Amino acid sequence: MAAGALSWALRAARQVLPSPCPRQVRSYYVDWRMLRDVKRRKMAYEYADERLRINAIRKNSILPRELQEAADKEIAALPRDSCPARIHNRCVMTSRPRGVKRRWRLSRIVFRHFADHAQMSGVQRAMW
Amino acid sequence: STSSVLSTDKDKSAASKDSTPEGVSKGQEDGAETPKQQLLDIIGSMKVEVSYRKKLQQLKASESKKQALKKLEGPDSEGSVPQGATEDTQRGKALNPELVKAASAVASSLPRNKKQTESELLAQLRRHEETTDKQKKGGTINLRNVISEMTVKRQTPAQRVAMLSGRLSLQVDEDGQRIRPERSSAQSIDSRSLKVGKRLNIFTKASREPEHALKTVSSPTIWDLEFAKEVAAVTAQPPRNGFEEMIQWTKEGILWEYPIDNEVGMEDDAEFHEHIFLEKHLEGFPKEGPIRHFMELVICGLSKNPYLSVKQKVEHIEWFQKYFEEKKELLQEI
Repeated sequence: MAAGALSWALRAARQVLPSPCPRQVRSYYVDWRMLRDVKRRKMAYEYADERLRINAIRKNSILPRELQEAADKEIAALPRDSCPARIHNRCVMTSRPRGVKRRWRLSRIVFRHFADHAQMSGVQRAMW
Repeated sequence: STSSVLSTDKDKSAASKDSTPEGVSKGQEDGAETPKQQLLDIIGSMKVEVSYRKKLQQLKASESKKQALKKLEGPDSEGSVPQGATEDTQRGKALNPELVKAASAVASSLPRNKKQTESELLAQLRRHEETTDKQKKGGTINLRNVISEMTVKRQTPAQRVAMLSGRLSLQVDEDGQRIRPERSSAQSIDSRSLKVGKRLNIFTKASREPEHALKTVSSPTIWDLEFAKEVAAVTAQPPRNGFEEMIQWTKEGILWEYPIDNEVGMEDDAEFHEHIFLEKHLEGFPKEGPIRHFMELVICGLSKNPYLSVKQKVEHIEWFQKYFEEKKELLQEI
């Protein structure tokens, strides 16, 4: 039990691969949900081609229906995390699932914090 | 101190030359001056600052004096030394009269045969002078061999203009315009090939052993890599200013390279026809039927896709081929 928890802890603390960058690199994700999201993104990238091809067979009016049904079964057999629909854009800094602006990948609170401290290039307080 | 030495030499040489002119005057029958006369002229003309004319006179005087000495040495001394000395004098080399005087003074101071020692010293001096002159002229390298290979290159005005324009274009354009000066240099090398002609022996051939020694070492071990990394980490100084920081970021890959190249990391060597005309990959498929129809649509879509490389498109088509082959039994039922 303790060993299992330890192993999980180690896996959560994902070490970045040795890179030539000498400065400090973030070696932990904000929380487990962020980690799971990262895993889903990686898997979706791996299976993207296969999903595309099988879907091309499925969403087809030319090929026979039996073939399309076989393709349905195949795509369902793929791992669940390979589906891109399961990816959720969380805040990069705080892992907040809601209120995330896509352009900056930040939640509204973090965005406001950085913008007020003049750390967002080209962002200004609106006044008109 | 040199002036005092000279004065003492003058005295000594005057004393020594008194003995020699006696022998010379007997043997001398040319129209040249006697050595004593020549010596006196030299002493008279010797000053701290000697003009060019005086130097010439000195040279001529010393040359004639040497000839006189040669005649002296001929009957007096034996051996190879004076013969070598005579050969030197025959070349018409001029010795510094001060050196000659010093030599004669030294010879007079020694207890042995004055004339022999004097002749030997003079011979030594002459040899020294000869070597220095030779080195000055560069005779040791024997430039004639080097220059024989060279020819004066006559450039036409058109060629000159082309060269100048090539140099100017180097500064203006950066892509593709460097081919011109490279071509001209290659042509100039071809016209006179490098391996023709006598060996000049200016450079010694470096031994090949260290290269072999390096090759026998195995590929860098992990320890070597770690050491190299450590050295790089230690020597890497923190950036002194913003420019160095930006350079560091560019090396790490954080910052893009400017001007921005849209095709970084995308090396597509294939021509446009390989992207568009993909029908040749459809050979494994049946020629009629829904599958063919489907594959033609696939190919149409792929040809319009600018974001995939040719390799990726071919991979797509091959996957479909494999998939349909696996499903052949299913298809036969239909």
